[in-house]
Amino acid sequence: MNPPLFTTDLCLKCNICTAACPVAAVTDLFPGPKFVGPQAERYRHPRLPMPDVSVDWCSGCGTCSRVCPHGVAVAEINILAKERLAKERHTPLRDRLIAHPELLGRIASPIAPVANTSIHLRPARWLLEKTIGISRRAPIPTFTRIPLRKRFHDRCLDTPLDIKHDLGHTVAFFHGCSSNYYEPELGEQTIAILEQLGYEVVIPPQICCGLPLQSNGLFDAARRHAQANITWLAPFAKQGIPIVGTSTSCTLMLKYDYRTILGIRGEDVETIATSTYDFFEFLTGFMKDEIKRIKFNSLHARALYHPPCKLRNHGIGAPALSILRRIPELQLHLSESECCGAGGTYGMKLEKFPVAYEVGQSLFNQIRQLELDFVICDSETCRWWIAKHTGLPVYHPLEIMARAMDIQCNLLP
Amino acid sequence: MTDVLIVGAGLTGLFASLLVAERGNAVTLVAQGRGGLELSHGCIDIWGRATPSRALSQLRKSHPYRLAGTAALHAALEFFEEITQQAEYPFPGSISRNLHLPTALGAIHPTALAPQSLAQGDLFDGTPFTLAGIDNLLDFYPQLAASNLRRAGIAVQSVLELPIPMDDTHHDFYTSDLAHFFDKPNWREEVARVWKPQLIGIKRLGLPAVLGLRDPQHVLEDLQERLGLTLFEIPTLPPSLPGLRLEVILRRRALNTGVHFIEGPRVVGRIDGGSDGRRVSGVVLQTVGGPRVYTADVVILATGGILNGGLVFQQDGRVQESVFDLPVNYDQGRGYWTTTSPIDSQPYSGYGLLVNDLMQPLDDKGAPIFENLYVAGGLLGGADRTMEGSRQGIDLATAYRAVEVALG
Repeated sequence: MNPPLFTTDLCLKCNICTAACPVAAVTDLFPGPKFVGPQAERYRHPRLPMPDVSVDWCSGCGTCSRVCPHGVAVAEINILAKERLAKERHTPLRDRLIAHPELLGRIASPIAPVANTSIHLRPARWLLEKTIGISRRAPIPTFTRIPLRKRFHDRCLDTPLDIKHDLGHTVAFFHGCSSNYYEPELGEQTIAILEQLGYEVVIPPQICCGLPLQSNGLFDAARRHAQANITWLAPFAKQGIPIVGTSTSCTLMLKYDYRTILGIRGEDVETIATSTYDFFEFLTGFMKDEIKRIKFNSLHARALYHPPCKLRNHGIGAPALSILRRIPELQLHLSESECCGAGGTYGMKLEKFPVAYEVGQSLFNQIRQLELDFVICDSETCRWWIAKHTGLPVYHPLEIMARAMDIQCNLLP
Repeated sequence: MTDVLIVGAGLTGLFASLLVAERGNAVTLVAQGRGGLELSHGCIDIWGRATPSRALSQLRKSHPYRLAGTAALHAALEFFEEITQQAEYPFPGSISRNLHLPTALGAIHPTALAPQSLAQGDLFDGTPFTLAGIDNLLDFYPQLAASNLRRAGIAVQSVLELPIPMDDTHHDFYTSDLAHFFDKPNWREEVARVWKPQLIGIKRLGLPAVLGLRDPQHVLEDLQERLGLTLFEIPTLPPSLPGLRLEVILRRRALNTGVHFIEGPRVVGRIDGGSDGRRVSGVVLQTVGGPRVYTADVVILATGGILNGGLVFQQDGRVQESVFDLPVNYDQGRGYWTTTSPIDSQPYSGYGLLVNDLMQPLDDKGAPIFENLYVAGGLLGGADRTMEGSRQGIDLATAYRAVEVALG
C-alpha cells in the first residue's frame, strides 16, 4: 500500500475528483479535492505553517479517492492535512466532545432517560449551539439504557481460546459505539440473523474505532483506540475468525484507515484488515447458497436505498442490494446522490451545518418526490441525518432483512 | 440468467452493462475510479474524415468496425439514441453526414452525433456566431479559438468576455462549478439580466460547456429563451461537461436497471475454470481490506487503451494488457512507437488486443484464449481512433457485438 503522500505525483490534474466532490458542488468555500489535496500538498512545508486552510471544509466522505482513475489517495492526503491544521490551531472543546461517542455513551447510558430528555430539549440545543457550536438543527442520537454488551454479556469473550465450537462457523461481531450505546436493537438483529444462518456469534472486547477522533484531527487519541482494538481483535483474526461489522465506517477503519491514515504497521493490523467484513459483504461472500435458500416474506412498501460513502469506499459495491432486491413487494428506488452530507461529525458543527445540509439537498429532494414509506442506509450518522431532514424512518438494510425473515428480537434481559 | 462481469466504466463498459442488464441478466461493473467519458467531448465520433457510412465498408478486415460488423454499429446507435432520448438529452446528427463543431482551441471537430447544445455550433450552419468566455473560468480562451477558426476560413462575428453575477468569489472556477450554478433557475435569471445588454445584435452565441449538469437540455432551452438567441457549447478541458453528462445519464440508467457497481478496486487476478482451463470463472479484486473473489459466467474487458489504463507502456519497451496480461499486438522497441512528427498518425495508436469477430481475444496462433472472455472498446488494436475520428463509434459497436455474442 502506497503511503498517501507518495501518490501526489500520480495526479494528472484531470479534475474527475473535483467534478464528483459533493462539497465543492455546493460551496465555493471549498475549492475542491484536487486543489486542497495533491496540488496544495506541494506548498505544505514540513516545518512551516499551512499556507491555506480551505481543506478544513472537506467533509471526509472519500468520494475523491474512489473516483480517481489514477490511484491518487486524495481523501487521505486531505485528512492528513486536516490533522496538521488541527495541530496548528487549538482543537475546540466541541470537536473533542463529539469525537468521543463511546465516552459519551458510557457516561450517559446509566442515566439514559434523564440524558435523553434533557439533551433533546430546545433550550438545551440552543445552549449547545451558543456555547460550543453544535448546530441545533443537527440530529443527536438517543442513548440506550442497557448497552448491547450488557444484553449479550454471555457472548462477550476476551479471547477466542475459549471457543469450543466449530471455527468455520464462528463470527466475531464488531458492534462499534452506535450498536452498543445508541441502537442496540440493530446489534440484536445482527446476532439473530447470523445465528439463524448457523453461525456462532462472539463479541470480542473493543473500543470506539477512533474515526471521530481521526476526523477531528486527534490522531494520537485515535491511534490509542486503534492499538487497543488491534490487541483485542488480533487473536480472533489470527484464528481465522471473520470480524463482521454493521457500521460501515468502523469496518473501514479496521480494514484501511488504521494502516493508511494512522500509519500503524505490523502483522496484527494486516491480519485484522483482511479478516474484517461488512455484514452484507460477509453474507453475500460466505453464505451465497444459504442466502439463496432463504424465502423472504413480502414487504409491501416503497423505499429508497442510499449506500453511504463509507460503504462505497470499501470497494465492494453495495452488497445489501442483492438481498433487498429479493424481498417480494419491496419497491426499491436507488439514491442518485453521491453523499447525504452528514459526514460523521461534520454536519454537527455550527459553521459546517449549512454546507452539509446543502450537500444533502439533492438526496432529500429525491426522497420527497418519491413519496416513500422509509429510507434504507447502512451508516448510522447518515441514517440519523436523513431521518432528521426528511422526517422519514431510516433503517439499516439488515433491519429490513430481519423483518423479511420474520426475526423477532426481544432479547432484553 | 447469465452472470456478467464487466471491467471498466467508460462509454464501452457502461453501454455494455446496459445492454446486458436490459436483457434481464445480472451485471457487476467493476472500475478503478471514473474516467473515459469525463475526459471526453461527449459526442459520438464514428468516422471523421469522410462520409462515415461509406468509409466503413472499405476498412481492413482486422479493423474493429469490420470485426463488429455494420449491423452491430447500427443497432448500437439505435439503442444509444433511445437512451439519450429517454434521458431528455437528445443527440442530433446522423451516420451519413458529419457535423463540424468548434473545439476550445478553434480546430474543427467532425462528429456524427452531438448533444443538441453542441450540435447547434455546427460551423457550416450558415448563421453567424460570436464566441464568449466567462469571467473566472480559466479553461476557455475565446480569442484563441476565434483566431484559429478565422485562420481556417470560418467567420467569427465577434468575441466577448461575459461577467458572472457574483461579487465575491473565493477562487477561480472549474466548469463543474459553473454547471452547478447554471442548474439553478435564479442563477440563470441573474445571468440573463447581466448578459442581455451585451448581446445585442447576436443571433448565435458559443460558450464554454458549462450549461448545467442535472438537466442540461432544460437549462439550454431556458437560457436561450431568456437571452433570445441560439446558444451552443464548446467542450473544455476536464471536467468536460458534455462527457460528464453522458456518464451521469448512462450511470443513472444502469443503476436503475440493476447493474451492480463496484467502484474503486483494481482487478488483480483471474480465476480460470472449465475442464481445460479455457474458461474464466471469476476475477480477484484488490479491495481496501484485501483480495476478494467475484465469480461470473461471462467476463467483458472494457478497460480502454493507453489513455485509460487498459494498456500499459513499460519503460523496457513492453506493452502490457493491465488486467489479465493478455497478449498485445505492438512493435517491439520503443523507437517504433512514435513517428518523428507529432501530428502524424502514431503507430502506438493502433496497438491493442487482437480479437476474432466474436470479440474474443486471440493468442499468437490466432486461437481464442478463453471461451467466455470478450473485449470491447479502446483496448482493441487495429484502429488509430485519433486520426480516424472513430473512438466512440468503435466503443459502441464493439460493446454491442461483444454482448450479443456473450449472451448468445
